[in-house]
Amino acid sequence: MVDQFAPHIGEHTVDVLDNLGVAVEFASEQTCCGQPAFNSGFRSEAYPVAEKFVEIFERVNGLIVVPSGSCAAMVRNYYKDLFRDDEDLVRRAEKVAGRLFELTEFLYKFFGPSAVRGSSNKTVTYHKCCHLLREIGIDEEPVELLSGLEGIQIVPLERADVCCGFGGAFSVKMPDISSAILDEKLDYIQSTGADYVVAGDAGCIFQMQGGLRRRNSDIRVVHIAEALTDSIERGKRSRNRQ
Amino acid sequence: MTEKEQFISNISAALGRKTIQKPEADHRLSFFESASSINSNADQSIVDSVNRSDQLMDQMSSAAETIGWKVHHASNTEVAASIVAGICKDNNAKNVLRSAHEVLDQIVVDAAISNIGASVEVTEHQGDYSQIDVENTKIKAFAADTGITGVDYAIAETGSIVLHPRSGLSRLVSLAPPIHIAVLRPAEVIASLDELFALERSNFINDQLEGSMNIISGPSKTADIEGTTVTGIHGPLEVHLVIFKDDHIGQ
Amino acid sequence: MKPVTTNFRNKAAETLEDKQIQQSIEHVYTGFFQGRLSAASETPNWEQLRSKGKEIKDHTIAHLDYYLNLLANNVQKNGGNVFFANDAEEARNHIIKIAREKDVKTVIKSKSMVSEEMGLAEAMNDEGFETVETDLGEYIIQLANETPYHLIAPAVHKSRSEVAKLLDDNFREGDPVPDANQLTMLARKKLRSVFERADMSVTGANFAVAESGSIALVTNEGNGRMTTSVPRVHVAVMGMEKVIPSIQDLSTMLRILIRSATGQRISTYVTMVNGKRSPDEEEGPVEFHLVIMNNGRDKLLRDSQTRESLNCIRCGACLNACPVYRKVGGHAYGWVYPGPIGAIVSPVLTGLKDASNLPGASSLCGACHDACPVKINIPRMLLELRYRTAEGSASKSERSSSAKERTVWKLWKIGMMGRRRFDLGSRTSGLLLRPLVRNGWMRIAPPPISGWTLTRDFPSFASKSLKARLSKRNRTSKS
Repeated sequence: MVDQFAPHIGEHTVDVLDNLGVAVEFASEQTCCGQPAFNSGFRSEAYPVAEKFVEIFERVNGLIVVPSGSCAAMVRNYYKDLFRDDEDLVRRAEKVAGRLFELTEFLYKFFGPSAVRGSSNKTVTYHKCCHLLREIGIDEEPVELLSGLEGIQIVPLERADVCCGFGGAFSVKMPDISSAILDEKLDYIQSTGADYVVAGDAGCIFQMQGGLRRRNSDIRVVHIAEALTDSIERGKRSRNRQ
Repeated sequence: MTEKEQFISNISAALGRKTIQKPEADHRLSFFESASSINSNADQSIVDSVNRSDQLMDQMSSAAETIGWKVHHASNTEVAASIVAGICKDNNAKNVLRSAHEVLDQIVVDAAISNIGASVEVTEHQGDYSQIDVENTKIKAFAADTGITGVDYAIAETGSIVLHPRSGLSRLVSLAPPIHIAVLRPAEVIASLDELFALERSNFINDQLEGSMNIISGPSKTADIEGTTVTGIHGPLEVHLVIFKDDHIGQ
Repeated sequence: MKPVTTNFRNKAAETLEDKQIQQSIEHVYTGFFQGRLSAASETPNWEQLRSKGKEIKDHTIAHLDYYLNLLANNVQKNGGNVFFANDAEEARNHIIKIAREKDVKTVIKSKSMVSEEMGLAEAMNDEGFETVETDLGEYIIQLANETPYHLIAPAVHKSRSEVAKLLDDNFREGDPVPDANQLTMLARKKLRSVFERADMSVTGANFAVAESGSIALVTNEGNGRMTTSVPRVHVAVMGMEKVIPSIQDLSTMLRILIRSATGQRISTYVTMVNGKRSPDEEEGPVEFHLVIMNNGRDKLLRDSQTRESLNCIRCGACLNACPVYRKVGGHAYGWVYPGPIGAIVSPVLTGLKDASNLPGASSLCGACHDACPVKINIPRMLLELRYRTAEGSASKSERSSSAKERTVWKLWKIGMMGRRRFDLGSRTSGLLLRPLVRNGWMRIAPPPISGWTLTRDFPSFASKSLKARLSKRNRTSKS
């Protein structure tokens, strides 16, 4: 999704890592982790796609960073289920998973809460994407990362840990229910008075931004990689001016 | 095969077994504890109850208040009886029923209640009695203003009392009337549900388990209408705990 | 209860539009959900209790044959009667038979989801027994001729004025609505005389203890005590998975059940029934019957992928946590068990081909897994059932995916199997959709994603993929 719909998220991910001095590369042949088909129950279609993912990433050296909690969850927690009839593939997948991190998980784990230096003049609120929260276990860490940005105003989001209603194919298969859940989320977002909503997964971002646009709202929903990069840029500019 | 055997054998098959097999002892689980361990858990509960009596009583008292018991303290039998009678008087109780808990004899509650002009009856029949006698007592229980019992245990963790059945009709005494008064002594307070079930389990392996047990934690309540908590539905609307700490120990 | 699980989409849509229900349902979040969080945070060993609860249930279910056998033997040893019912009909008929044999006129019921599976109250009323639900919520829905909306609060969807109409014969539309207190007192009065004259009771069992042949009932109202004390015949019904090994286990199970259900440290009443009355009692049942029901649970047991669902202690925490349940309500699920646990149990027990919607009615957010006192991994089982209904079931009738859907995913796979075709596919789609795009977003999108744009804008394909952009920056590797 990031690759074909929101590549700027991927670029910002590279930028954040660059800024920390991390040597980053994009594995050219990658397409998808297979989650969409798996979640819809079509494991026979997900299997070869996921297997290809393992093949591609077991060939790369170093750690793997993904700007998505749900993709990270798929690899880390669900590949063993998908590949359950093939012990060898399960092992290979586990090896890949052992080197794979979601972006904020990576930043926090290796660089700590003040990983990113920068400044911001935005009022933001943070939505806790479900897989990042419950499958990867990243809760307040992104807020800590954002708090390190000078000048940023972070307003807590009521019911931040309640789903936005995306759920992958659920959002188009049961759009009325998905939208009802989204409506509640957007009401809480709008009541924060924030200019920006920061979140960690592209699907949730599309769901919330798509809904806010329909409400003619100016609130922007941004990926945390973008929020951090913008602040780095801003920080650089302000430092250059001094 | 009996219907039971067939049912169970279907379960065994579902679990991939041909017949029932006793599970291998797993020492993380209470089920596999030895009888001596079970008895010793129960003993330990009592020892703990004695050693930490004051602390547990304080805990019990405050936990009870939090969940809606009206808590009273009495330092001797006369004060205890007069508190009980006072509650009855405040509520214009005319027909009072009580269980056969011996603490109620100890504080001579019957005299105190008669003195305020209410009738009090112990809900058990001695000697020969008929089903009609029982029915009449049952009707009385549903019509009574106040029910008085002792307790078998009190649980400090939750602010609860525990009632085992007494002879006669003791269950309805703490259930049917709109007001229930429970008289409780420090020795009856145990720390938590762990201790309670340790004691019940020990009773069980020593063939002393009663037909039932009730853990009572405050007045009856429901939140079934619009999520609003209302106190007082099928059980008592008001419950009192009279904590009788007899300073004349030994008498 | 006859399943209407095929009606999920319609009923859900109806409930989404019902402003009064949407308001009433909030209580499961602000009351029960928040209650559980508070109770958990003030319980220092909460996580250990959850782990211990899971341990107890895992062990028991893995040896269910042994523990059910032990339970039955011990109930009989205490002088009680045990009936093993293969299905709801057998259970119901057996209970009616008991009522007939014992010359019963009035039957009082306390809350039991298993009795809902049997449609027991309705059947007994049809047979001429006065059968009255005594839990206030169940009483309300009995009067309304409806099925339960929630595992713990069956009438959570009803407004006060609806309740007034049901309880108060004198209430007319437009009258000032009595408050909850007044309505509750009215219910107390109405049910009082029923308690007094009841000959037989039917209760559920929150737990059945194998080693002693006991059952435990968790209630707040007092009806759990009335039903186990007043009538001369007491029938307890249970799903076969409700057994636990030891009396000592009750301290763990009661703690996690009650805090998870309502946030209380303990319910107002916990009643342990060890059989019929004690020898010198003049009240309490003279006869105790335990009906242990299967009704399809062996299907859940047999399948190692769904076996964990039998760990459920019916606390309702997953319902309270579920963003879907809180919008579509309990009736949409079409059978006895709503919410996340219902989305697993109902399809397997009533037929996956009829209930195939339920596992799909989830955003897979995982809040249910978080909330479960015994850590049941519900999302994993939802995914498993989705697999069965999409393509994985050995039974053709259970595979309900459409040819269209299967084709979509086949094409998706083809598109994902190589980078070049991935880019080409996206490029092509992007071009085709260009007329619909304004400022990077579409207000209308074609199938299969047209549902999205009913209420949300959808992003357009990017003009340059991430690979293309990073390639330009020389950041792409060979693999």
